[in-house]
Amino acid sequence: MGAQSTGGSFEPNADWTAQAKDNLGVALAAAQTKLGNEVIVAEEPVGQSAQVMADYRALFAVLAQSVITYQFFPGNRLPTKKRKGAFEWTLGPGVAEIAGGSGADYALFLTNDDEYGSTGRKMLQVFAAMGGVSVISGNHKGFAGLVDLRTGDLVWLNADLQMGGDVRTPEGAQKRVSQLLEDFPGSTAPQPAAK
Amino acid sequence: MRAASASFAAACLVGAAATCAHAEPIPTLPPYTAAYQPQGVDERGLWMEFDEFERTLRDSKAVINDPALMAYLRGVVCRTVGSSRCETVRIYVVRDASFNASMAPNGMMVIHSGLLLRSRNEAELAAVLGHEFAHFELRHSLAQFKRRRTAGDIVAWVGVAAVGAYAYGGANTYSVIRNAQSVQTAVIGGLYANGREQERQADLLSMAYLKASPYEPHCFADLWNRQMNEADATARGRKQRSTRYDRVAFFATHPTSLDRATYLRAIASETGKAGDEGQVSFMTAMTAWRPEFLDDQLKLNDFEGTDFLLGELAGAQWTPDLLYARGELYRGRGNPRDLVSAIGFYREALSGNATFAEAYRGIGLAQMRNHDPAGVDALKRYLSLKPDASDRAMISMLVQ
Repeated sequence: MGAQSTGGSFEPNADWTAQAKDNLGVALAAAQTKLGNEVIVAEEPVGQSAQVMADYRALFAVLAQSVITYQFFPGNRLPTKKRKGAFEWTLGPGVAEIAGGSGADYALFLTNDDEYGSTGRKMLQVFAAMGGVSVISGNHKGFAGLVDLRTGDLVWLNADLQMGGDVRTPEGAQKRVSQLLEDFPGSTAPQPAAK
Repeated sequence: MRAASASFAAACLVGAAATCAHAEPIPTLPPYTAAYQPQGVDERGLWMEFDEFERTLRDSKAVINDPALMAYLRGVVCRTVGSSRCETVRIYVVRDASFNASMAPNGMMVIHSGLLLRSRNEAELAAVLGHEFAHFELRHSLAQFKRRRTAGDIVAWVGVAAVGAYAYGGANTYSVIRNAQSVQTAVIGGLYANGREQERQADLLSMAYLKASPYEPHCFADLWNRQMNEADATARGRKQRSTRYDRVAFFATHPTSLDRATYLRAIASETGKAGDEGQVSFMTAMTAWRPEFLDDQLKLNDFEGTDFLLGELAGAQWTPDLLYARGELYRGRGNPRDLVSAIGFYREALSGNATFAEAYRGIGLAQMRNHDPAGVDALKRYLSLKPDASDRAMISMLVQ
């Protein structure tokens, strides 16, 4: 979480990040009731399992990026992903290790990356537009993925490179979580996309 | 400031570098605040970012997790910057064969294994780690972050002005755009110049640490001299023009190695201090890891640079591990003549250490590649010396 300076560089903001973490945690707990599943927030692991967790977090990031690049855009699909309705991506069965005997069936990975355009950036945007040049102010990316811990298969992935909801506020965080978990498998009442 | 340093370097070059009379004064050690906490939005944001990064790095497989090595390196940092300063540092050694180290604004020190391979003694390592600590103590990341943001803002606004001139301008359009471009170039150039000035300040503060430490201050300059020679060797091997050391490139992030070697040597002479090089303790601490670091270096596909480096490490005496690494280097290039040379190096390694299993492996593979049937015997010897070799299945297939 942070701001985007006039020149477009990222300015990390510790307070916003802390607020967003709290708000998203609360919003996620509230959204649970609609998911048809019990969601437990993973404790930070120690020792050997910390390395395993770090490995799979990195692997998930690569996998999610591959899905976004090679599956979500039909024109760019790999030949093996072209069959209609096919969604075949996996982290491999070894991922069961990250459950660490907790009895969890699925792992839910959430990522948010927010840069709010500063006042200077917005002014630059206006003036550049007057000159006929488009300047993007702000950057709001997020994705959520669900992995079946028995097989390692990615069962569902939702990615949005222009997310709504100001996660610095509780209401915004709720909107963000409902967007992230839109069409979550097994959810009882799919949330309408409120953008 | 930069102009002063350049003319200083030139003056030293004319005379004998080591006896240059007017060295720059090194700073007195600034008062140190233990457990410093970041202040303001920018600094707290930077620390947060690096805290997040450190959490990931801590669990990375690229980090060497060896308690003995970590304890030794902590000792070096503490002897260099003093026991109160070193308490804030967390050290991570990453398996990276390049010659580098870095320190983040939150106190995370990252040491590349390539630095440990290239340092010849504890004093050289101490000088580089002192330089990195100086960046931390002087809070250089924050200052450069702010400068980069301001520079980005100026470049963006001037760019918009140029666009405006293009869209609405009349007769002056061309000159407005040309001026806008010179402003942008000047701002970006200033940013890099400031980065180089920070490096110089860190060098000077490192010399101040070394002066107060038990270490020999001359060693820092030695490191830069060897670095230039290695870079030249790499360039020669790659048929590239070597780096120019007598001028600073526009986008250079550091002063040239020659500039640094010159002013550091002058300062070291000025201190008039003869300290400890700590060669024995350094070599002892690296014994277990040097074969691994050499192995990483061999994978860089840098024949000339690596050959030069091995020669530097050997000095007057080639040890079995260096001879073996040289054999691997030549066998890796793999011309028929290289294989003959490689076999020679492996044999020399074996004359120093008769049970060096991997040397037999090298001899066997090189001989087989040159259709010498004796290779089978060497490979059998390898397997008998190292029955649990990880490549046992592959080698067994060759000896049948």
